[in-house]
Amino acid sequence: MTTAQELRDKKQTYWDDVAVGHQFPPLVIGPMTPTHLFRWSAAIENWHRIHYDQSFAIYHEGLPNILGQGSWKQSILPRYLKDLCLPDGWPWKVTFQHRAMIVPGDTITVWATVTKKYEEEGLGFLECDVGMRLQYDAESCPGRATLVLPIKGGKPIPYPFVPPKKLVS
Amino acid sequence: MSNAPASTESALTPAVKAMVGVSAEKVEASFEWGIEREGLRIFTQAIMDPDPRYWDEAFAKSTKFGAIITPPIYCTYIGRRQRPGAEDPVTRAFKENPNSDGIGGVRTGEGKGSLPLVPTHLLRILNAGNEIELRQYPKIGDRIYSQAKYADIKERVQKDGSRMLVVTTETLYTNQNGELLCILRASQIRR
Repeated sequence: MTTAQELRDKKQTYWDDVAVGHQFPPLVIGPMTPTHLFRWSAAIENWHRIHYDQSFAIYHEGLPNILGQGSWKQSILPRYLKDLCLPDGWPWKVTFQHRAMIVPGDTITVWATVTKKYEEEGLGFLECDVGMRLQYDAESCPGRATLVLPIKGGKPIPYPFVPPKKLVS
Repeated sequence: MSNAPASTESALTPAVKAMVGVSAEKVEASFEWGIEREGLRIFTQAIMDPDPRYWDEAFAKSTKFGAIITPPIYCTYIGRRQRPGAEDPVTRAFKENPNSDGIGGVRTGEGKGSLPLVPTHLLRILNAGNEIELRQYPKIGDRIYSQAKYADIKERVQKDGSRMLVVTTETLYTNQNGELLCILRASQIRR
């Protein structure tokens, strides 16, 4: 897990220093417990019983256990990408699907690998494959992300972020 | 006698197709007091993110953001909270259906800013995937507004021949100045 101090002291990764194939440091979370799942459900007031009511999940829904929330995964992945871009980069976009179920006992490795890099309007863009891999190598949240990292000697990344017109569909 | 079509009949009826492009009213997702620190603390601890940009005011001021910010898509969750004084939706859901799954009967789509329900007999819901585009992090005190629309609805045929729908919504989140914060495109499987 990342600490507050590590995030406070985070050194900038520059676009120039990252090549296609680069694997960013992973974020490992877990083992997950029913309490982690319940805490998330309570935090966002999601009362879907498959996330905290084991009897309902197994005997009514036919699931193997209570399930980790898709909404939790969709918060963890941007959180990880945010960390990669700190302090001055921008985690512009992420697209992902929900695949392998997360259940109590699972340990999750959040990862990102650079698949493409390009420059547009003086900003450095990285396309990445991303995901949340479980301890038995199943992929729980495969997707793609677009990160913007500073170019050495280049212009600052605008904030609020304004994507180059050419990249807006 | 049920009016629900047999499982092998198309679930993508004209009434379902007509929902594509339908927008909800733009509403304030936050409460009148805007984004506040205690809600932010609960949320960041649930995603196990100790980033001092969320709680250390002096440090946050020294960053490019200039103030305490929230996690990237925090604003997409604040509209799901129950407003003070509202009828308890959990009690109502289980009163109406003791076997409620806790979501189908709780989120009825009747709320202000909600999209109208997709007219389908497929009531079970699973999250199928998402696309998130970030422009700006909300700050403490920000008022958050959202507007949703049905961006796409597709039908898929499962191995047993039964039908399911993949319903994609697109929601824009803005702040009190009308600045775009993020865009969430969410797909749900209805089966």
